[in-house]
This record gives sequence, structure tokens and C-alpha cells, in this order.
Amino acid sequence: MNKRILHLLVLVLFLTAGINLFAVGEKEEPVDYPPEMDAWLQEAKLGPYEGEQDWNEIEQLANDEGEVIIYSSSSRVAKVAAVFEEEYPGIKVTFFDLGSVGTVEKTISEQDANLFNTDVITTGGSGQVIHELLGNYRLVNFVPDMYVDQIPEELREPLLARIVEGYVLLYNQEFYGNTPPISNIWELTEEKWRGKVVLKDPMASLTNKMGLWTMVQHADEFEKAYKELNGEKIVLHENVPDAGYEFIFRLLHNDLIILGSGSKVAKASGAKGQTDPPIAITGYTYIRYNASKEYVNALVTPLTPFENIVTPVYTAIARQAPHPNAAKLFTKFLLGDINITLDTEISEPYNEGESARLLQGLGPYYEPGSKSPRDTVPVAKGGEGWYDLDSWIVDPDFMWYEGLKVQDFWVQEVGN
Amino acid sequence: MISEPGIHHEKLLHLKFNLTKLKSRSYYIMALIFIIIFAFLVIVPLIQIIFTSLTFQKNDVRMVRGARVGAFTLYHYSRVFVGRLAKALFYKPFINSLMVGFGVTVLSMTIGSLLAWVLVRTDIPFKKFLNNIIVIPYMMPSWVMALAWLLIFRNTRTGGAPGMLTVLFGVATPDWLSYGLFPIIICLGLHYYAYSFLLVSGALATINSELEEAGALGGLNRLKILKKITFPLVLPALGSSFVLTFSRSMGTFGTPALLGLPVRFFTIPTQIYASINARNKGDSFVLALVLVVLAAFAIYINSRIIGKRKSFVTMGGKGFRSKPNKLGSFKAPVTILVLIFLLIVIVLPVVLLAWNTFMLLPDDYSWSNLTLHFWTGKSNFSIASGQEGIFRNSSIGGGIINSLKLGVSAAIINAFLGLLIGYAVVRSRGTKISGILEAVSFAPYVFPSIAMGAIYLGMFAHPFGPIPALYGTFYLILLIVIVKNMPFSSRTGISAILQIDKSLEEVAQTEGIPWFTRLRKIIFPLSKSGFFSGMILTFITSMRELSLIILLVTPSTRLLTSIIFAYTDQDMVQHANGVTLILMLIIVSANFTARRFFGTKGLFGIK
Repeated sequence: MNKRILHLLVLVLFLTAGINLFAVGEKEEPVDYPPEMDAWLQEAKLGPYEGEQDWNEIEQLANDEGEVIIYSSSSRVAKVAAVFEEEYPGIKVTFFDLGSVGTVEKTISEQDANLFNTDVITTGGSGQVIHELLGNYRLVNFVPDMYVDQIPEELREPLLARIVEGYVLLYNQEFYGNTPPISNIWELTEEKWRGKVVLKDPMASLTNKMGLWTMVQHADEFEKAYKELNGEKIVLHENVPDAGYEFIFRLLHNDLIILGSGSKVAKASGAKGQTDPPIAITGYTYIRYNASKEYVNALVTPLTPFENIVTPVYTAIARQAPHPNAAKLFTKFLLGDINITLDTEISEPYNEGESARLLQGLGPYYEPGSKSPRDTVPVAKGGEGWYDLDSWIVDPDFMWYEGLKVQDFWVQEVGN
Repeated sequence: MISEPGIHHEKLLHLKFNLTKLKSRSYYIMALIFIIIFAFLVIVPLIQIIFTSLTFQKNDVRMVRGARVGAFTLYHYSRVFVGRLAKALFYKPFINSLMVGFGVTVLSMTIGSLLAWVLVRTDIPFKKFLNNIIVIPYMMPSWVMALAWLLIFRNTRTGGAPGMLTVLFGVATPDWLSYGLFPIIICLGLHYYAYSFLLVSGALATINSELEEAGALGGLNRLKILKKITFPLVLPALGSSFVLTFSRSMGTFGTPALLGLPVRFFTIPTQIYASINARNKGDSFVLALVLVVLAAFAIYINSRIIGKRKSFVTMGGKGFRSKPNKLGSFKAPVTILVLIFLLIVIVLPVVLLAWNTFMLLPDDYSWSNLTLHFWTGKSNFSIASGQEGIFRNSSIGGGIINSLKLGVSAAIINAFLGLLIGYAVVRSRGTKISGILEAVSFAPYVFPSIAMGAIYLGMFAHPFGPIPALYGTFYLILLIVIVKNMPFSSRTGISAILQIDKSLEEVAQTEGIPWFTRLRKIIFPLSKSGFFSGMILTFITSMRELSLIILLVTPSTRLLTSIIFAYTDQDMVQHANGVTLILMLIIVSANFTARRFFGTKGLFGIK
């Protein structure tokens, strides 16, 4: 009997050793570009070797390459691929719609295995993208030069955003009228709103995670907002570090309702004919359902201490991309026609005719509640409110260094 | 000198004998090969789970000062079992999972056994028809019931429009009825009763009614007969039902996710999913190990109580002539009760889902709201984000093709492998190899599907040993489905081979007929029935698989179930329900055609 156990142990040891052989060690942060990557950067004229961008040459080389491969967090990449192929029939687009988590995971595990399969990586998830991908030289930033003056620096350095999305509070306008039922976010933690605040599970959505975590980051503003509402300084619960965490704590303990999808959240607050509709904390773009599903959602504004949290969706060229020039061309295409100005008439439907021609790769994402990083591109109809909102922008450093602590706090309180 | 040729002859004979022995024991080699393959596909992942749970992962480095990726640590165990998070991460979900597990098991075993007894041992009319449709819930994905439940019982807690009950009758449904433990148990119970039904009716069918008659002659009353004769005989089947239902319902993800979240009712599988999404691999694997240990424990308890380890899939034996109990004056009420039950668990959800696909705005039950748009409509950006109707939608077409490809290939491969494993196990019975092979082929059973998906994703994202990077290909999905179904296929194979007398093959062997021909001419024809019913079983389970493949599908390998999940996620209910109906239609019709065509027995080989 002991012999059998011994055999089993030997087997286990043997197999464990096998795993170690296959396991891929964590890459140390390189001090400089790895040599193979450096050679590729030089060849592809990227990073430190970018120099002057010659778009005739890039387009010609891209046609020679004949293909571009995209890893994307968004399913709408399929539509972008279709319009791109129409514009550049010589270049075939292969895309993988992987979700934000999948895009990061696939990129890392492939590159760790020395597979450099993809050209363009486009996803949200600030902390991971900046620190885990860009910080480990898994990506290289590329900004088509014609747009540099149109995009504010924080949206093109260290990494180019192809679109920014908002994270806001929505209320039922049919029931509450034109004046939002709250003007200070702390009101949501009062008895009146018990069981009447909905959001999508942040554990299943990076947008919601970034939005909520950014609130925690702005603890000082939350503390001030509390005092403004109640006239006195906030008293924190035991083991709650600051007013940011305290807001999450009170929200959760006020019977916050967590749903599985953003669409359900939009429906919860926005469906017509309700007698006691909740307030939604959600992506601004869900306001689009007002047109398609006859919802009656409206922005909660003015609101203290913030009205909108801006989350960028990045696009970058993957390390040692096999088709770097096609990738450059695709990046340019994602940002839309250079000739668009704030006065350009862009009319619905956005995916047809002149509008589609102007918007290019921006077309499938052109909708109220999101915005091109370019100052010269007008927002879609129904999203004009964007310009007047008091906004915070997601901070990749906070997400990376503090995000897990906030996450643990969330997991702990959501289950208690 | 004289004796020399004799000695030579003897040596030669000896050598020849050894060769034949080796040749006749090709099953040894086969068994060994299978063991190695399974070690690779099952044991390695298990060890990797343990290994991962005991080492620092990438994310941990950001939380723990001085941690190094890959270094040994008990960090995850202390987080899950004793830390500040333990209550939320483990204890509460664990209690919830146990309640779900026991609740579902009690409910489904009660329903399943009662139905089995009524259908096998009484003279209820329409037996054949009832037998055919009573297992249909098993063919539906388990979360279909949850979708239907929400359509009826949803209340205003989740905002939007409430469910049918409130809309049509003005009855406000309380939270406990709409979400959480109660509906989860009901919905899963009404799905899993098929296990108990199949297993218990299989056992009941093998009971010779002469035994009961003997009891009656011996002066026992009906209750005593039930207690002293019938019950002990179906006890192994009940034990199997318990293990199967309990560990399955503990490990299920879809239904608790749909019905639990609105009231923050978390279970171990939903916590595993959340931890994987949050890239807390270490935590999620500790939780996965809890499920592995529980499943193993349930099997152990079962084997201790029943004393027969091999009783999981009781294949229906030979048909006995059994005299049904007369229902007498209860005949009409019992029949009506059974019919009403089937109406509620099969017809009602299907009708609700179907009705829903014709509604332009969900939850609006007026006539003017009816539309064909979700079936035949062209892309219209004001409805469902411009998704085309189901019949025009090329991605759904692709999903149907992928799902069928998966179902058919898995069915064929599993049935063959199962038969070969059965052959190797049975023919080498009594040796260690046989025992080990039987154990490893059953090992995938204890893996929670969702954790197995996560492991395979990690293992095959890059080349693994001799295998190229499979992630993103159809083969990875096929591989994991084959492995996960192997416990059932090998059981089916073992029972099929057990029914074939060894002497049949030995005759052929002495005639010098090679092994493969023996397999083709003797083993296969004789085990055909079990073979095909095993195929149908694999086909059904792989067609409706979600938890296992959800982390592995990519756009080009989309399956019907992942399409349904995505539609549900985006709240495109009409599309989700429509595709669900198509999936059910394919499974049910494939099942009936196959049975008609091959003349096989039903699920688990039970008529």
C-alpha cells in the first residue's frame, strides 16, 4: 500500500517537473527594447525609428503586405473590417473579437510563447494596457502625424485612444421629469434610494470597474461633496479607509442592485411606464437605446462631485507585428477622415453613404455617449451633452497600483 | 544429440507462446497508451490547478510586497479560507452551493424516482409516448428553465417591466420567489430529474416482478415489499443519481448566474467565474479544488454506502417480463398529474420562449406588438442594434454548423474511444492497469467545467509538449468536450464489453483472426446498441455545453450555446430565445431520428 503511494508520488513529481518545463517564466521588465524587437522597430519605422511618416509609401507597403490582423475587445470590429476592405480592396482584414480580458490574455500568452501573430491591438482597460502591455514592450504607440494637433496629449501619449467613452448616471425622464431626482451622488446612499440603484457587475466589466474605482480614487472630492450635502464631515465605518471607499460601502449596503449586462441596466432605469424606476450608474452610450428601444433615460446633470468619467479605448501596434504598414494604415482608418471639422454635417444613418465615407473606422462607434479623441470631430446626435459635463479621466496608474485593493474591498462588501 | 531438436522445439514453442500471449494482450498496450494520454489531458491539468493555487500569480505581485511570480505560497488558501475576504469569497457561497446541491438533489430525485416507478411499474397508459418526452428537459440547456422563470416571475426589483404574472394578473411577486435560492432549486430540479428518472427506471426495469410476487406470497404487504425488496434493488441507482445530481448542481454556473445575481446570491461556480474574470487565478483554482474534492467525496460516500463502485451508469440489462402494478381508480388522476407536470416543464417554457421571439418589445403582450422581425427581418438599426433576423443571420448559420460539427465528431470519437477503453479495461480486469485506466478515464468527472475550460485555455494558448497552440481552433473545443464526456463514454464502453462473453473472442483468436478484425466483426456488432446510445448521449451533452467552452470560443469557432449566452448578455432576448429554440429542435429531432434509424435504446441505453 505504501508502495502505491510512493508510485503516485513519483508520478506527481515527474508530471510537475514536466509542467515546469512547459511553464513560461515571467518576463523581467527589459531595460531597453529586446534586440529582435529593436530590429523590427527599425525595419517597420516605429517607436524611436519612426521619423517622418510618408503615407504614400506606407499605403504602398501595406498593399504589398496584403493583410492586417486585429485583436479587438469589441464585436463591432467586424463592421470596421468590412468598410476597411471596401476602401482598401488589396488588404484583407482578419479580426478576433476577444473582449477586453481576452485581448490582453491572448496577447500576453502568445508573445510569451514567441508567437507574434497580430498587428493591431485595440481595447479598453487602462491599467493593464498601459502597465502590462505597453510597460512590458508588448505594444508600440503609433499616432498618424496628421492628427497630432487634433488630439489632446493625454489621449495620444503614452498610448493613442481611438475613442473615449463616458460613465455616467442615468434616470427615468418620463417619471421624474426634466429635473433629475438627485444632484449630489451621496443621495444614492440615503434610505430613499434603497434598492433603487442599478449597475452592471464591475467584476464582469472593465468599464464599470474603471468607473467605480475612479470614484474611490477621488476620495477628497467625495468627502467634500458629502459635507456639501449634509453640512457635516463624513464619519467613516470601521476599517473603511476614506470617503471614496465609504461611498462604495454605503452604496452596497443600501441594497445596490447588480445586474449581468449593461443592456439590462439601461432597461431597468429607462423602460417606459414604470412606477418607481431606479437610477442607473452605467456607460453613457446606453442612451442610444432611447432611439432603438424607446427608453426614456436622461443624464443626471448637474451632479456633484462629477458628471462623467472618461474611459479611453486604446489602439496600438503589436510587438513584432507581421504587417506593420497595414497596421499603420488601419490605425489611421480608425480615426476617420482628416477633413472632418466641427461644422461637418454627419447625418444618420452613419453606416451608409457620405457619413460612412467620412467616418471610416469611426463609423461603427459613432453614437451618443462616446466621442472621438479628435477635437475636430463633432459628437453624434443625442450626445451633445458631452461637452458640458464635468469629467474625470480614468488614471491607469491608480487602476494598476490600487485597483486590486479596491477590488478586494468590493468582493468583501458585496458578499456581506 | 537426439534430444537437441526436441529442446529447440520446446524453446521455439515457448517463444511462440510468449508472442501469442503478448499479441493476445494487445489490450495491455492499449491500456497503457490510454493511461499516458489521460495523464496528459487530465492529471496534468489537475496538478496544474494545484500548482497554480500554491504559487504567486502575476496579479499577486501587485498586492504582496516581495512576492515573486511562481514562488511557493499559501497566500491564496489563506485569502479564501481565513482572511478578511473568506466569508464573502468562500463561506457564504459554499453554504449557498450546498443548499442548492441538496435542494436540487432532493427535489429531482423525488420527481425522478416517482416518475420512474409510475412509468415502469404501473399500468399507466401512453407509456411509450411518455417515456419519450419525459427526458426532453435533459436535452435542453439547463438555463432554459431560468429564462422562462424570469419571463413569468420577474419583479420590479431589476427595473424595467415585471414578469407575466404581474403584467397579466397584477400579482406582485416577492423577491424570494423571483430570484435566489428558491427559483434556482426549482429550475435546476426540473432539469436534473432526468438523471434519477433514467437511472431508477433502468434499475426498476431489471427487477423481476417474480421477486415481488414471492414477497407477496410470503405475506408481505405492499409497503413492506417496497421497503424490503424494491428499495434495496434500486439503491445503487439512487446512489448514482445522488452523486450525479449533487455534484452537477453544485458545479453549475448558468442558472445561479441568471437568478442569483439580482439578490447577490453567489455560489462557488459564480465566484470561480468572477475570480477568473478578475484574473485572480490563484483564488479561483482554490475554489475549483473545493468542487473537485466535493465531487470526489460524493463518489466515495456513494461507494461506501452502496458498496458497489461501478454503479454510476447502470446500463439497462435484459428486459424481464414484469407485471405492472394496477393503478385502479388512481389511473386517471395519476395520468393527468403526469401530463400536467410535463406541460409545465416542457410545453410551457417552450411556448413562452417561442411567443417571446415574436414580440417586438419584450414584455409587451398586446397583439399589435407581434412581429416576425427577429426571425426573418433585415438589419434595421433601430431594433436590436441592427442584428438581422435569425434566418438571415450568417453568424447563427455558422454557429449551427459548428455545433453540429462538434456534436457529431465528439459523438463518434467518444463512442469509439469509450469502446476501446471498455475493451482494454474489461479484458485486463484484475490487473492494476485496468484499475488505473478505469480511474483516470473517470477523473474528468470531478472537474468543474468552468475550471477545466480555464486550465485548457492556459495549457493550449501556446504549444504544449508535442501539441501546437490550439487556442482559437475548433480542435481545442473538440478536445475538451471529448475529455469531459469520457467518464460516460468509458462507462458505456465498459458495460457494453462486459455483456460480451470472452469465449466468443477466444474462439476467433484461436482461429488466428487478428485483433482489429475481431473488434470489427465480433465486438462492435455485439455492442452496437450501447455504442449508439453512447453516441446520442455525447451528442446531446456536447450540443448544449456552455460552462466548459465559454472561455474557449472565438468568433470563428462560435457555437449555438455561446451565441445564446452573448445574446442574453446583450439583453437581446428575442434572438437568445429564438436560437435556444433552434438548438432544442436540433437536439430533440436528432435524438429521435437517430433512435429510429439505428434502432438504439434511449439515453443511457434505457428504453
